[in-house]
Amino acid sequence: MFSLLYGLWKYLFSKAEFHVLILGIDKAGKTTLLEKLKTLYSDFEGLPPDRIVPTVGLNIGRIEAYKSKLIFWDLGGQLGLRTIWEKYFEEAHAVLYVIDAANQARFEDAKSALEKVLRHEELKGAPILIFANKQDVEDASSAEEISRYLDLKELNEQLSMVQGVSAHDGTGIKEGIMWLVDAMKTSKRTELLRQRVDAVVR
Amino acid sequence: MGMLFSRLFSSLFGDREARILVLGLDNAGKTTILYRLQVGEVVSTIPTIGFNVETVQYNNIKFQVWDLGGQTSIRPYWRCYFPNTQAVIYVVDSADKERIGTAKEEFHAILEEEELKDAVVLIYANKQDLPDALDDAAVTEALNLHKIKSRQWAIFKTSAIKGEGLFEGLDWLSDTLKSRGR
Repeated sequence: MFSLLYGLWKYLFSKAEFHVLILGIDKAGKTTLLEKLKTLYSDFEGLPPDRIVPTVGLNIGRIEAYKSKLIFWDLGGQLGLRTIWEKYFEEAHAVLYVIDAANQARFEDAKSALEKVLRHEELKGAPILIFANKQDVEDASSAEEISRYLDLKELNEQLSMVQGVSAHDGTGIKEGIMWLVDAMKTSKRTELLRQRVDAVVR
Repeated sequence: MGMLFSRLFSSLFGDREARILVLGLDNAGKTTILYRLQVGEVVSTIPTIGFNVETVQYNNIKFQVWDLGGQTSIRPYWRCYFPNTQAVIYVVDSADKERIGTAKEEFHAILEEEELKDAVVLIYANKQDLPDALDDAAVTEALNLHKIKSRQWAIFKTSAIKGEGLFEGLDWLSDTLKSRGR
């Protein structure tokens, strides 16, 4: 009886847990963003940008925000390492795609990598938050410009938002994360992943 | 000697006893790596139970090395070395394609150990000096590294013989242990 009540209590009051996959080509600023998220949303001070080296593997950040537990997976963006991205799609509730808005020379690469992600069957219905990063750099393109450049018609079926941020000073990050949590809470994909977990448990 | 090392790891664990396991199949290059890092004197112990553990003590951090694979009868004794382990450095012979499947199985088996569930994992894709060595992406694939979803990991191309890539990996390790938070 106790365990039954306890289970009910846990069901009602436990915080929802979401997996967010941070993707983007190399040097977009994914790990810097992850460390900033840790600084913004926990008592814990993340690594300063000058201590961050290119990721060849997986970084993880766990934070609590807006009554939810968020687990961020930050994967390396170098070309040879991108094949591993899709291995994480199945369990991701959402994608946070980071673009260096100050590096026009690599917009094309960033766009085609994003298109590949969006086309993937395993990510169906996942909300996509796009961070036009490095807004602190003088000639960075704005969120609107990035949005126009990406021209993602596929996104009609997927919830999406383009937000200008600076992983360096934190500008814009909270607005984006707030949107993302809301989007995940109401997305069909979250429901789908929950059913999948329930099916395994039973 | 060991200057860089002390810069990276001093004060990292405070006064706590910490342990870093250096594991891999035999002949992967583990001992050579320890010598290269110049952490301290490598002490080899061959206990009566017949499994050989090399230990390097650096302040309050113990580095311990043994070969995975082989006899199953001694495996229970491995557990003596699991408590307080902060990190596992897994060394792979990137040129030994015949045994990379075994390296994968041993790797995932050891990570299932309850006492190692909080340890971060650094993989050295070693022997990059050999002509037909697999690169980091290929070793990632061969070891099924994507199966690791609840702990931080990173892979570095290394050549223990030339001393390449080792400190880059340790840099990552010390930063990760510092920034891990919860």
